[in-house]
Amino acid sequence: MNWIAVGLKQDLPLGVVIPSRIEDTELAIWRSASGEVRAWSDRCPHRGMRLSHGFVRGNALSCIYHGWQYSENGSCAYIPAHPKLTPPDTICVPTYDCAETDGVIWAALQKPLGAPPAVSSRRPVRSMPVARSARAIAAYFNAPQSTFLEIGSDFDVALALQPCTAAHCVVHALAARGADRKAVSRWLEALRSDLEESAP
Amino acid sequence: MTAATDNHWYPVAMVSGIDAPRETWLLGKKITLGRDNGACWVRDAAGNPLTVTERFGHLWTSPGQPNRALFTIPEADTPGRRLVDVGSVRVKCSPLRAVENFLDIAHFPFVHTDILGAEPHTEVDRYDVRIAEDVDEVWATKVKFFQPQAAKSASGGITTEYMYRVPAPTCAVLYKTCPPRPGEWDIITLFVQPLTEEWCEVWPWMALYDDASTMAEMVSFQQLIFMQDRSILENQIPRKLPLDPGMEVPTQADMTSVAYRRWLKKIGYTYGAQLVAA
Ligand code: FES
Ligand SMILES: [Fe+2]
Repeated sequence: MNWIAVGLKQDLPLGVVIPSRIEDTELAIWRSASGEVRAWSDRCPHRGMRLSHGFVRGNALSCIYHGWQYSENGSCAYIPAHPKLTPPDTICVPTYDCAETDGVIWAALQKPLGAPPAVSSRRPVRSMPVARSARAIAAYFNAPQSTFLEIGSDFDVALALQPCTAAHCVVHALAARGADRKAVSRWLEALRSDLEESAP
Repeated sequence: MTAATDNHWYPVAMVSGIDAPRETWLLGKKITLGRDNGACWVRDAAGNPLTVTERFGHLWTSPGQPNRALFTIPEADTPGRRLVDVGSVRVKCSPLRAVENFLDIAHFPFVHTDILGAEPHTEVDRYDVRIAEDVDEVWATKVKFFQPQAAKSASGGITTEYMYRVPAPTCAVLYKTCPPRPGEWDIITLFVQPLTEEWCEVWPWMALYDDASTMAEMVSFQQLIFMQDRSILENQIPRKLPLDPGMEVPTQADMTSVAYRRWLKKIGYTYGAQLVAA
């Protein structure tokens, strides 16, 4: 399984781009006007500007530095400094597989094997940064290799782990449909304290 | 560090801002600067005096033996100009990226929206670029761009003509159509102090024909522009300037940047540059 949760649907409205990362790979995650979600390398091929600082117009992502516009497959469609030029096909942003299921946005840096993890009847609650590695959190729950942990508890919690650095990750939490969000949130805060305090 | 880096002049302070001795960085090393009996001085970390000169409102020094005198800007001496010390902005980027951004006009509509540029006026016409071999400088001329408010003294949109000049690896001079005086050029410079390869202090300085604006207005106009540039410069990947082709994709609008990178390579100036594609 190489799908990694990189955000929640509720945090990415139409026409918005946000920065994200999977380990050392920095990503620009954006949603087009028609609702499609994409995960791209967070670097404009022109002069290296972060695309997560850019803006969405219709179904294209534009870089904030010189306004180069990239269409949904990542290829450059328009260079404002040269309005009459058709940009060569060679100018394109590296793109990654991206999927959105049950309110979770997933990306895969390598060709994904199969579908993203089934969240079954749960729904997303919130994303929470934690000052531990994803590996350490998985080990804490005795599931060392996993990035999708089905914890159970009163709320039937599942945690989708987004590895960021050796000391930091983002936990995307899901819980049973009927669960009280505030109660789940308190449970998560307590978990974060436990995790961060158990750091070596 | 190499002679190619050491033997240049670098700005390290605004002369009017020097009072008590203070520490700063130059090319990754600590230096101290101050003023005794009216004369400014700079010392290296070991306390040895470095060569200094005062020009364009700033104090300049060199850790090596500069192979030539600090460049001149003769036009700045013509009477009637107001000389504006803008102050400084610290930026987490390569000093070379800061200079390259200053040479770029295609970003005006997107970064300095409704001030130095605005959509749909985004086209960059062909202009002339050359490396002037006699003086060993990069020059771009006949650069034209439509601007909604080209300067504090401009009211309404005009097509502004520019000339750009790179007289030293971390310095650039811009000559720009002057709204109140057709036929003359306003002068705006960017003097960059390389603190390290990925951190710099930018000292803009201006010599303008502008009788209408107050000094504070001219300073804050230019500071606004540089704050907008900083939001770009701190978010380019990599932080260093790639000198080898392949990592970035220049177009015709980037001819000044292409010439600047080529010239840096030619003179062997690699401080703040990335040489192999990462
Ligand atoms: S760096 Fe993205 S358009 Fe120039
Ligand atoms: Fe700018």
